[in-house]
Amino acid sequence: MTRKTRNKVLTHTILITLVLIIAFPVIYALITSTLSFKQTYAYPPQLIPGTQLWQNIVAAWNRASLGRLFLNSSLISIVVAIVKIVLSLMAAFAYTHFRFRGRSLLFPMTMVTQMLPLPVRILPTYQLMADFHWINSYYALMFPFFASTTGILLFRQFFMTVPRDLSDAARVDGTSPMRYFFQILIPISKTNIAALFVIEFIFMWSQYLWPLIITTTKNMRVIQIGIKMLLASEQQVPEWNVIMAGAIIAMLPPLVVLVLLRKSFAQGIAMQSEK
Amino acid sequence: MQEERFPGHPFLPYLLILPSVAVIVIFLVVPFIQSARGSFFMTSAFGTRTIYVGLRNYIALFHSSYYLHSVLTTLIFAGFVIIIGLAISLAIGLLLNQKIRWQGFYQVALIWTYALSPAVAGTIWALMFAPATGIVPFVVARLFGGYVLNWMTDGQVALLVVSAAATWKMLGYNIIFFLAGLQNIPKELLEAARVDGAGPWRVFWKITFPMLSPTTTFLLFVNMLYAFFQVFGLIDIMTQGGPGNATNILVYKLYRDAFIYMNSGSADAQSVIIFIVIAAAAVVQLRVATRKAVYAR
Amino acid sequence: MKKVLVAGLALVLLVTMTTGLALADKVQITWWHAMSGPRLDVVNSIVAGFNASHPTIELKALYTGTYPETLTKFIAAYRSHNAPNIVQVYEVGTQTMLDSHAVTPVYQIPGMLGETWDWAQYVIPITHYYSTAGNLWSMPFNSSTAILYYNKDLFAKAGLDPNKPPTTWKEVEAYGQKLLASGVTKHVLSFGWPGWIFEQMFAYHNQLFANNNNGRTGLATQVLFNGAFGQMVLSTWTRLAKEGIFLYGGPEYSANQAFEAGQIAMLIQSTSSLAGIEQGSQFKVGTGFLPRFEGYPRGNSVIGGGSLWITKGQSKAQLEAVWEFLKYLAQTDVAVQWHKGTGYFPTVNSAVQELLTEGWFSKDQNYLTAFLQILSGRRDTPAATGVRLGPFVQIRELERTAIEQAVSGTMSPKAALDAAAQKANELLQQYKQVNG
Repeated sequence: MTRKTRNKVLTHTILITLVLIIAFPVIYALITSTLSFKQTYAYPPQLIPGTQLWQNIVAAWNRASLGRLFLNSSLISIVVAIVKIVLSLMAAFAYTHFRFRGRSLLFPMTMVTQMLPLPVRILPTYQLMADFHWINSYYALMFPFFASTTGILLFRQFFMTVPRDLSDAARVDGTSPMRYFFQILIPISKTNIAALFVIEFIFMWSQYLWPLIITTTKNMRVIQIGIKMLLASEQQVPEWNVIMAGAIIAMLPPLVVLVLLRKSFAQGIAMQSEK
Repeated sequence: MQEERFPGHPFLPYLLILPSVAVIVIFLVVPFIQSARGSFFMTSAFGTRTIYVGLRNYIALFHSSYYLHSVLTTLIFAGFVIIIGLAISLAIGLLLNQKIRWQGFYQVALIWTYALSPAVAGTIWALMFAPATGIVPFVVARLFGGYVLNWMTDGQVALLVVSAAATWKMLGYNIIFFLAGLQNIPKELLEAARVDGAGPWRVFWKITFPMLSPTTTFLLFVNMLYAFFQVFGLIDIMTQGGPGNATNILVYKLYRDAFIYMNSGSADAQSVIIFIVIAAAAVVQLRVATRKAVYAR
Repeated sequence: MKKVLVAGLALVLLVTMTTGLALADKVQITWWHAMSGPRLDVVNSIVAGFNASHPTIELKALYTGTYPETLTKFIAAYRSHNAPNIVQVYEVGTQTMLDSHAVTPVYQIPGMLGETWDWAQYVIPITHYYSTAGNLWSMPFNSSTAILYYNKDLFAKAGLDPNKPPTTWKEVEAYGQKLLASGVTKHVLSFGWPGWIFEQMFAYHNQLFANNNNGRTGLATQVLFNGAFGQMVLSTWTRLAKEGIFLYGGPEYSANQAFEAGQIAMLIQSTSSLAGIEQGSQFKVGTGFLPRFEGYPRGNSVIGGGSLWITKGQSKAQLEAVWEFLKYLAQTDVAVQWHKGTGYFPTVNSAVQELLTEGWFSKDQNYLTAFLQILSGRRDTPAATGVRLGPFVQIRELERTAIEQAVSGTMSPKAALDAAAQKANELLQQYKQVNG
């Protein structure tokens, strides 16, 4: 073997090992989700898949009303991601294509979002929701998340690289700024939009603290809380097989989004870190 | 700076930023100001009585061994997540950033943990480490002569397990960004260094690592936010801050003070302190990012 | 994109509104509670029974999350004037509710409606827990206490009499040594709810846990748990841990797992775990009274669980409906149904009678243990009734931390208790300053 091939074999060996190590927890979870309750308490732990996967999924689905929670999570994740994208596109357009009084003041202010994650304003935000009579509603689940620093930065960065000729040509043609925005700027931002969608969808799908405190009834819960509800089963000993079935249901949508949009996502990220 | 590309539209830019600014003011700035205001008061659970206490909530926090312990726990936890997590991710990123077969497969197979939520990650790790039945305590007992690994009763083990779980979940995200950063380093630069006779180790420290600094700084900040806040679900599912406060990181303590112990004044003060730390980090991060942007122009 | 958003929001609005439709004419009352799982089914069937027998009332019961979540939501709702009529609050929230100015005490309701009511029909140790100056402030609903569970099979294997659980801590230690020596287990005993069990020991031996008569004649301003009795209790547990008998099992129900798996032979846990433990165990489960420390006076075991609080400022019609529901809960058949479905104590004496005559306990003696324990204890002292603290949730966690530190050997029992007491006293002072 030449040194080069040896290196290659070594690299592949390391990478495959890493892939397996990183995947192991989820593989173990998958196996557990196929076992019966008794098998999950076997000693030594069982690593051979069982045959109970479907029963466990049904049990998890029914016990925590995962169907409804799944819909809730999908709804809020999609709506929040879209709203964030729209708002960020608009703001970034304003910041890069116009000069207006207060711009130098407002731009840093939109950056503040990053410094004010929900926990640092949680009590007043909770009371605000109570005052709006929004507790246990979709509004409360979504509105506090509509601001996005990441989005504004991402699109601003991208819009700054758009050649001036493009907007000049549009202006000379008498195209209105909004038409330019919709017909030229947004279409060429597709990759960035997809990247941001992935980021914001996963971010929203993973939300836990806010849904935990702001929702009161089962039909308004989100899927992350569903997992907590499965864990706190009344038998008081965790039914790992059912819990893992629930966890697998909960991890699927963001995984699908990531895998489907991975090309645009990777490009968007690459563009972003180019700066 | 940006020039005006569409002169003669005095109101349009305001209309465009209005929704963003409105959301930020109503749901972020005003509540935060209320938090800051609330931190100077002590309020009964039902809000029927409120007493102005000046800085007493802050003073009490800095005198509380529980709070200081929580600060320390957060630092250890965040330090682990950031240092170990970024080091592993960078190493994997370097491995992936070569001309090899099946690169597409490896990329997907190494970044997908990004899609997991902290709560799901916590659930899976809780399964693996379940004291009586999990695979890891079983293996540990086999390897170390019956040693009983119980993170439900051993605080140090709990903190380690929680940190490892949180790091694992974040690997995917870090790898994506490191890989993107690495691919943006001009190949000529690396070639030139190699021609000059620099070994791989030297090339890494002299060229790759400095060129990656914007990515690294960005990831430092994102991982810090992650370790400070987003891991809430993971902690809540795995340990609920226990055993004996061993994993009671700041955000968890804040949640308990606000929503379980009903100490709104103290919770508000904790919010403000966390804000100051995050704001300082954000300023540093933005500085580095803008410096890079200046070079790029 | 905007259209998508508008459509999305419209959809959301539609979903939220359609769930709000209800029938007119009837008096509508709502009840927020924290009962989930199988208990939720029992609650729902009781509510259905109530609505069916009361055609002019529409009671809506809503599961609003765990106890702390339910209380948080109640407070927020009360502050924005849309609180439910009835809310279930855990026992550690009792003082907070008493100081809330947000509730109508239960004992005043019959008078407000021009009725009289026989309060003696309730089981006394339970009503005492929720009474102030002899008056009942909230209606006991789900009440449990702590008992000793043991593994009869392991007892037999170790040569112990499977029908004789230990009655004192000395016996616990002796049994423990025997179990360890026989090699049937590596550890012997664990607890659920460590802080609560610690409190149980005080009441069970008629020792005060806090000043001002356990916070029952005025707000407690100082805890007494780091005194001689508390140190004795924790030192005993620490010694048992060093001998390998006691295995610290974590908070709440996490120790059940080890007991059900047969890794330990004894468990001190809430009676509300009885059904779960009997179902989840492959061995014969025995129960006994809490172990005693010899030479200390007799007290009683403390009630845990939750009670129902009535929101202040309701219309007379609503209050009447609420009162109808509270009376309904006191009906013998309903109280029996509640006990059989959940394992919680029935709150009225007639239900206990009914269960006895119908032979319910002879089917499973374990259900009787807890009754005998609370009915045989004393009911006339504040120490035996149980402590009442403002920042109770937090103080109970301080106790738990102190226990963890002592039994793991990181701190001496005295040092751990002193540290916890100092912090607890600060919290009590603060509470008094804001609420006093």
